[in-house]
Amino acid sequence: MADSNDPVRPAHRILASAAVLALSFSIVGAAPAAEPIKIGVIGEESAVAGASITKAAQMAQDDINAHGGVLGRQVEVVIYDDHSSAADAVRAFQRAVSEDKVSAVVASYISEVALAIEPWAARLHTPWITPGAASTDISKAVHDNYATNKYTFHGWLTSAFIAQSICDFEHDMLVTSSFKVKSTVVMSEDAAWTKPLDERFLDCLPKAGVKVLDHIRFNPDTTDFTPIFNKIEGEKPDVITTGISHVGVQPTVQWHDQRVPIGMVGQSSQATTSTFWKDTNGAAEGVITASAAAPGVALTPTTVAFTEAYQKRFGASPAYDGYTTYDEIHVIANAIKAAGGTDPDKIVDAMEKTHYTGTVGTIEFYGKDDLYTHAIKYGQGLVTGVVLQWQSGKQVTVWPRDKANGKIAFPATITSPK
Amino acid sequence: MTTLQILVDGFAISSLYALAAVGFTLIFGVSGVLNLAHGGIMLVAALVGWWVAGETPLGTYGGTLVGILAGLLTAYLTYFLVVRPIQRSKAIAQEEKEIFVLTGTLLWGIMIQTGMAYVFSDNPVTMRPLIPGVIAVMGVRTPINEVMIAVLCWVIIGLLWLLINRTPAGKQMLAASINPRGLTLLGFELSQIYFRVWTIYGVLAGVAGVLLASFLGVGTANAGQLTASAFSIVVLGGLGSVSGSLIAAYVVGYLETLTAYLIAPTLRPIPALILLVLVVYLRPQGLLGRR
Amino acid sequence: MTRAFNRRLLFAGVVFVLVATVLPLWLSAYVLGVLTTAYYFGVFSMSWDLLFGFAGEVNFGPTFLIGLGAYTAALLDNAYHPPVVICIAAGALAALVGGVLLALPALRLRGPYFGLVTLVAVLLLQNAIVIFARFTGGEIGMTVPDVLSVDPKLNYWYALAFFVVSAILLYGLSRSAVGLILQASGQDAVEAQALGFNVTKHKLAAFSVSALFSGVAGAMLVFYMGAASVGTIIDIGIGVQIIIGAVLGGRRTILGPAIGAIFLVVGTELLRPLGQLNTFVIAGIALAVILFFPDGLLGHVLRPRENT
Repeated sequence: MADSNDPVRPAHRILASAAVLALSFSIVGAAPAAEPIKIGVIGEESAVAGASITKAAQMAQDDINAHGGVLGRQVEVVIYDDHSSAADAVRAFQRAVSEDKVSAVVASYISEVALAIEPWAARLHTPWITPGAASTDISKAVHDNYATNKYTFHGWLTSAFIAQSICDFEHDMLVTSSFKVKSTVVMSEDAAWTKPLDERFLDCLPKAGVKVLDHIRFNPDTTDFTPIFNKIEGEKPDVITTGISHVGVQPTVQWHDQRVPIGMVGQSSQATTSTFWKDTNGAAEGVITASAAAPGVALTPTTVAFTEAYQKRFGASPAYDGYTTYDEIHVIANAIKAAGGTDPDKIVDAMEKTHYTGTVGTIEFYGKDDLYTHAIKYGQGLVTGVVLQWQSGKQVTVWPRDKANGKIAFPATITSPK
Repeated sequence: MTTLQILVDGFAISSLYALAAVGFTLIFGVSGVLNLAHGGIMLVAALVGWWVAGETPLGTYGGTLVGILAGLLTAYLTYFLVVRPIQRSKAIAQEEKEIFVLTGTLLWGIMIQTGMAYVFSDNPVTMRPLIPGVIAVMGVRTPINEVMIAVLCWVIIGLLWLLINRTPAGKQMLAASINPRGLTLLGFELSQIYFRVWTIYGVLAGVAGVLLASFLGVGTANAGQLTASAFSIVVLGGLGSVSGSLIAAYVVGYLETLTAYLIAPTLRPIPALILLVLVVYLRPQGLLGRR
Repeated sequence: MTRAFNRRLLFAGVVFVLVATVLPLWLSAYVLGVLTTAYYFGVFSMSWDLLFGFAGEVNFGPTFLIGLGAYTAALLDNAYHPPVVICIAAGALAALVGGVLLALPALRLRGPYFGLVTLVAVLLLQNAIVIFARFTGGEIGMTVPDVLSVDPKLNYWYALAFFVVSAILLYGLSRSAVGLILQASGQDAVEAQALGFNVTKHKLAAFSVSALFSGVAGAMLVFYMGAASVGTIIDIGIGVQIIIGAVLGGRRTILGPAIGAIFLVVGTELLRPLGQLNTFVIAGIALAVILFFPDGLLGHVLRPRENT
C-alpha cells in the first residue's frame, strides 16, 4: 500500500482522522468530577477591560481559598478567552459547563456577548453573571421570561442607571455649583448599550437642570472625530455628555489635539482603566467618566486594599469590571454556601437573596417584580459607582461627595465648564 | 465656516489615505501583488512607534523613526516569507498564484493582527504630535500636527514621483509594471526590482502607519479596515495607477467628510462604498487604470 | 475517473456517515455543538469551492449569501412566526435572489474586481444591518423565538444529515457534465467558450447553486444557535474562515473543503486552552499548509487525474 496513487488511502485517512478527533475529545473530557468547586470565567484577554475580569477572578479565588474555601472545598477558577466574539463566548460557555463541569460562570463586559450567552444559560441550567455589560435587555429578558432566564444575573449597573448616575452627578457637581452648567450635547456611539443610556439621558438631564441641545450618535467604527467635535462646538453647549465604550482613545486624543474648549463628562469605559493615560499620551487630562470604583477611594472597607493588591500583582489598576468580578466571585461562593451545594436552582435562589458588601458597594439584585430583574440595585447605600476625573495622570474621584478625594478641575484650554 | 472646515479636515484625512493607498497600488502595479496584510504593516509601525516613544528615552521623533523601520521590516517579512515563496512555488499553477498570494497575505495579516493584540492588547494607541499646538488655517482652528501630516504626505508623494519618473531605478520599476517579460529579456534582474519596490512600499506603509497613529490613533481592530480602505481607493483610482490612487483618495476622503458633516456621522462610510460599487460596475478599470 | 476510485470513495463516505451518526452516543453536548457548527461550516466551504474551485471565481464575501439567508429567516420568524421550514426556505430564496443580482453584473468582471465586488457586498450588508438596527438588532444581533431543537443530539443529526446531503449533491454536480464545463470555464474561459459553451450561463448556475446552499446553511445555523448577529454570521472574519477551510482541505475537490472546514473549526476549539493565541496558531498552520502543501490536506488525493 505504499503507492501514493493508491485510492484506498482516502478511506483510511478519513477514518483515521475521525477516530483521532473522537479520541482526542474523549481524552479532553475524561477528567473525573473533581473535588474543587469550579467557576468558569470568560474574559477578553486582548481588551483592557476584558483582561481585568480574568485577573480579578484569580485574585478572588486565592482570597476565598486562603479563608478556607467553600463548604470545605477549594474554589477553582477556569479561565477562557472569547476574543471579543459572541460565538466564541458561547462555545466557551458550553465547554465550561459540559466538559469542565463548572457550577457557575462569570462572563464578559460586552453586551453582545452577554445576550448571546443568556439563552444558553437557560438551556444548560447554569447560573451566570456578567460583571460589566450594560444593556438593559439582559435583565429585561429575565423579567419577561423568569422561569427560563432566571439563571442570568446582571452584575453591573444597567445603561439606564449608568445614565441616572451621570445625571445625578451633573446636577450635584455642575449645575448647582460654581460651574453653573445649563446645557449639553449628548455624544454617544451608535451601539445597542447606548440606546437605553441616551433615552435616560434625554429624560433625566433636563430634570437635573441641564438642557439637551443636541443628540449625536456616531458609527462605532469612526476614526475621525473632527466633524463631530466641530459640530458640537458650533452649538455652544456648556458641557459634552458622552456615552462611549467601543471607542475612547481616539476621540479623547483628537478632542485634546484640536483644543476643543468644552469639557467631556459621562461614560467613557476606556477612561476607567489606568493604562488610558499612557494610551492617550496624557490627552485624558480633564476627562470625567463614571466607573465602578477608583484608586484611593474607600467605597467600602475593602475597596482600597483590593485595588492596591491588584496593582501590586498585575502592575495596573483594575478596570471597572475588575472590581465587580472580584465581588461577584464572592457572591457566587456565598450563594453556593447558602445553597449547601451546587444545585443550580438553589444557587439562583440564594443569589437572589444576596446582600453582600464587596468593593463596589453593597450588592443586592432586583426581584421578579422589578423591571430589571436580577440586575444590581442602584442607589445610596447600595451601588452607585463613582465619577472620576483624570488629573495629572491620576484618577481623582469627584462624586459622590462623601467619597470624593478631590475637586473638579479642568485644564486651561477648556473654557466651559469654568 | 462649515465649508472651510470641510475643506481643511477633508484635506488632511485625504492626504493620509493617499499615502496609504499609493504604496498599495505601487506593489500591485509593479509586482502584481494585492497585499492583504497592508493594514497589518501599518499597524506594526504604529504600535512599535508608540511603544518606543513612550517606553524608551528615544522620545517621539525616535519612536517615529523606529516605527517606520518596523514597518519596513514587516514588509520585508511579508515579501520573503509569504509572497516570494508562493510566486516561486512550482507546486502552484501560474494562473492560481494570484489567489494564493491573496490568501497567504490574508493569513499573514491575521497573524500580525492577533500577534500584536497579544503583545499590546487591542486598545488603540496614539503617538504624541511631532509639533503640538493649533493654528488657524483659513480661520479654522487646526492642530499644527494635522497640517504637518498633510505637508509630509505630499513631500513623500512628490519624492516618489521623482523617484519613479526621473531615476533609472524608478524607470525600471515602471517598465516592470508594464512588461516584466520584456524587462527580463533586456537583462534586468526582476528580483532586484521587486526588492526595491517592497523597500519603498515598506517605508510608505511605515510612514502612513506612524502618521495615522499621530493624527487619529490606531488599534489592532483597525487593521482590517485600513486594508479595505486602501483596497477600495486603489480600485476606484485604477489598480496600478499612482495618480489614480491620489485622486481617488481625495474623492473618498472628501465624500466621507462631507457625509459626516452634512448628513450624519453614522452614515460616513456609505457614499464611498456606493461609489465603489458604481465604479466597479460601470468602469471597472477605475478612473485612471490601465490593467 | 476510475470505477475503483469511485467505489473506494463511496466506501469511505459510508464509513464516515456511520461513525458520525453514532458519535452522539458517547460524546458530550459541548463536543456535539462544536461538530454541529463544523458541519455547517463544511457546507459553507463546499459551496465556496463550487464557485472557486470550479468556476474559478474567488468569492471574498461568502457571508453575503449566508447573511442574506440567515437574516431573512430570522426576520421572518420574528415577524410572522411561520414554521421553521418556511423560514429556511425564505432564507434560501433570498440568498438565491441576492446571489443572482450580485452575479449578473459581477461575472462581467475579471480577477480581483470580482473579488472586490463580493467584498463590498458584504460591507454593504453589514452596514445595512447596523443602520436598520431597529429591525435587525444591529451589532448586538437578534434572537429567533424558534429553534431547530433544544436537544444537542437532534441538532447534531440535523446538521449531519444536511451536511451529507449537501456533500452528495455538490460532489455529484462537480462530477457531472455541468461540473466539467464549470471546471473548463474556471481554468480557461476563452477555450471553453471557443468550444461552444456558454461560460457565463454556467458560472451563473454555479453562483446560484452556491447561493442556494449557503442560504439554507445560514438559515439552519441561525435556528441552531438561536441568534443571528453581524459578528457570528456576516463578519469578514467568518468569510476568511470559510476560505481558509476550503484552501486547507484542497480546492477544486468539494469534499476537501468539507474536511478542511471541519478540521479548522474543531482545531480552533481544541486549541482553546492556548487562550488568546489560538487564532494566531491556526492562521499560522493554514499559512504553512498553503506554502508547503498548496493542494491542501486532501487535494492531492481527491483531485481527478488530469492527463496521467
